[in-house]
Amino acid sequence: MMDLSKFRNDFNILQKKIKGIPIIYFDNACMTLRPRQVVEAMNEYYNEYPACGERSEHALGKRVTEEVEKSRREIAKFIGAKKDKEIIFTKNTTEGINLVANSFGLNNNSAFGSKKTVLLSEKEHNSNLLPWLRLKKKSGIGVEFVKFEEEFDIEDFSRKVKNAGLVSMVWTSNMDGTSIPVEKVIKIAHENKVPVMIDAAQAAPHKAIDVRKLDADFLAFSGHKMLGPAATGILYGKQEMLEKLESFAIGGGTVQDSTYDSMVMEEIPERFEAGLQNYAGIIGMSAATRYLSSVGMGNIEKHEKMLNEKASKAVVNAGGEILGGKDASKRSGILSFNLSNIDAHTVAIMLNESRNIMMRAGRHCVHSYFNAHNIGGSARASFYFYNTPEEVEAFSEEIKKIAEMGK
Amino acid sequence: MICIIALIVFGVMAIFSAKYRPVAKEALDCVFRRVTFRKCESRLDVRLKGQITGKLMKSHPKIAKFIYKRFEIISWIMLAIMIWSTISSGIAVYNYAMYGNCNGKQNGEAFCVFDPAGKSSFSTAVTNYSGPVVLPSFGNDSFIGPRDAKVEIIEFGCYRCPYTRKAEATVKQILKDYKGKVVYTFRDFPLSDRHFDAELHAFAARCAGDQGKYWEFRDYMFEKFDTMNHDEKGMKQLASDFGLNVTQFNECFDSRKYMPQIEDDVRAGVMAGVYGTPTFFINNKTIVGPQDYEMFKPIIDRALKQ
Repeated sequence: MMDLSKFRNDFNILQKKIKGIPIIYFDNACMTLRPRQVVEAMNEYYNEYPACGERSEHALGKRVTEEVEKSRREIAKFIGAKKDKEIIFTKNTTEGINLVANSFGLNNNSAFGSKKTVLLSEKEHNSNLLPWLRLKKKSGIGVEFVKFEEEFDIEDFSRKVKNAGLVSMVWTSNMDGTSIPVEKVIKIAHENKVPVMIDAAQAAPHKAIDVRKLDADFLAFSGHKMLGPAATGILYGKQEMLEKLESFAIGGGTVQDSTYDSMVMEEIPERFEAGLQNYAGIIGMSAATRYLSSVGMGNIEKHEKMLNEKASKAVVNAGGEILGGKDASKRSGILSFNLSNIDAHTVAIMLNESRNIMMRAGRHCVHSYFNAHNIGGSARASFYFYNTPEEVEAFSEEIKKIAEMGK
Repeated sequence: MICIIALIVFGVMAIFSAKYRPVAKEALDCVFRRVTFRKCESRLDVRLKGQITGKLMKSHPKIAKFIYKRFEIISWIMLAIMIWSTISSGIAVYNYAMYGNCNGKQNGEAFCVFDPAGKSSFSTAVTNYSGPVVLPSFGNDSFIGPRDAKVEIIEFGCYRCPYTRKAEATVKQILKDYKGKVVYTFRDFPLSDRHFDAELHAFAARCAGDQGKYWEFRDYMFEKFDTMNHDEKGMKQLASDFGLNVTQFNECFDSRKYMPQIEDDVRAGVMAGVYGTPTFFINNKTIVGPQDYEMFKPIIDRALKQ
């Protein structure tokens, strides 16, 4: 069992109250809270060396470059990347996916092959659906979906991957917490010579990742879902894959030289990081990975599952329906549910009003799944390592009361 | 239905504060969609329902459930009440503009607190006092109940005021139900700017008090109020009919010996911000007008518990 109080003390917001009641934050799938170490790292940038990185040669500029590259190294190490240059700073997972979608070349004679179909799962976040739908509309690429209910249909995947030019899939669904068998998916795809991009927005914050072991070609995740500053993200890509990609956004920082009619692009990763970067965010994000390492990703995963099991039991006892199945061990730290006769938004609002329990309700940017299944939405509690069993107990009490209202 | 209420409430609030304008706009959109048989996309109705019942759930889960189940009906009722009160307020404003009194033409029976011009029938006294408000002391007038009772009720009233007379039944009920628990005193606040004879009744009651009959004579005066004459002669006749020692009464009455005490009462009332009669102070909680017993009860109960 982790020493929660030690970690909780690092989060100022958890010491505060609203209307005299402590905050219970269960909206971690959207954005986690930040420990003071992350805020201090960002403040240090603004107070000590608030300048441009990668271009200015003065003392402050050099310090920024050093810190940004140090952050790149730390983040590469955090996910087990072979080289620092395989780490591209983005502003979120969405940007990382868009970068690949718009640079990969499914729509023309791609260096990756001639198959012009991208293979997705049925539970993709809009961030890993819309870019491909737009390409389908504009360039006529194919978009195929693999069946994914409580379990991912690996047989369906094996059949469909043969015709795919790229597999782009969510690792852990933000909607219900279920995961694809990611190692198996990558292995089968590679056996069929199909590269794989993984949306790890809900995986990277909750489990240890080793991209080399995983053998993912691309992997995108966000900093703000793992203690990092808002609007920070990472796109990992194998060096040989990144080198084949065309830059999506280009401009300052992406070229070595230019004339009135030509340009010489920078090497990776710089050629993908157009314009001035969010230095404070990058530095804050590496502070977040240091913090997570000190907690231990294994501990985090274990703790969240324990919380999810307790909370899921309360929802089941209250007669609720859980998306992704009753087995909490298969749903990471996410509990997406509906209570009978009570709108999901109302559930979330009531929890907020009665006990400051903060969670989300709606379709969680996975409109496609909800529309296909004719479900209006769901209430979603998402846990992180700083949440306590007592908080889950409070949640359970309130859920019982709310469920009573619908009876 | 809650969207219509929200539209009215937030619409008014939005006039004074930009903070409420987005909500008012949402409510308008919601109402518009509902009247055109479409779904309220902003989900304002869901939010309001959740917020109201969620707040209640904390302390009164059963009430929260009751409201949650019948939210639409309750919203309809609230809307009806709102429309009714808006119409009533509109009528009152019209009456005030037309007759200078929110009750309409001079109406001796109804009470109207809102009467800044003092035109309401016999109910209010307008003072020019602008100093600090000082809560009244119990004073040295006669009282009913144990002097050390936990709850002190001070009434500022005018015998000539129909509302003071109307409140008398409530006072009697309170003294009966809270016998031994409250102490009550009546401080004179004659509205002499309206009734040239307003002070005469106060003199008469106090002179009866010289013969140990203050409260009894007061009751008798209220009883005979509609048939008696309210001039000096009428007062003396009333004292005689009641069976007081007339010589002693007349001597007291003619000498106006209680004028300083009455003036003290009026001064205390003015400094306490009394602008109309009757005004009650229950351990410094104020009730204005001839309110129902139910209005007094919780205040007295709370004061007894403190």
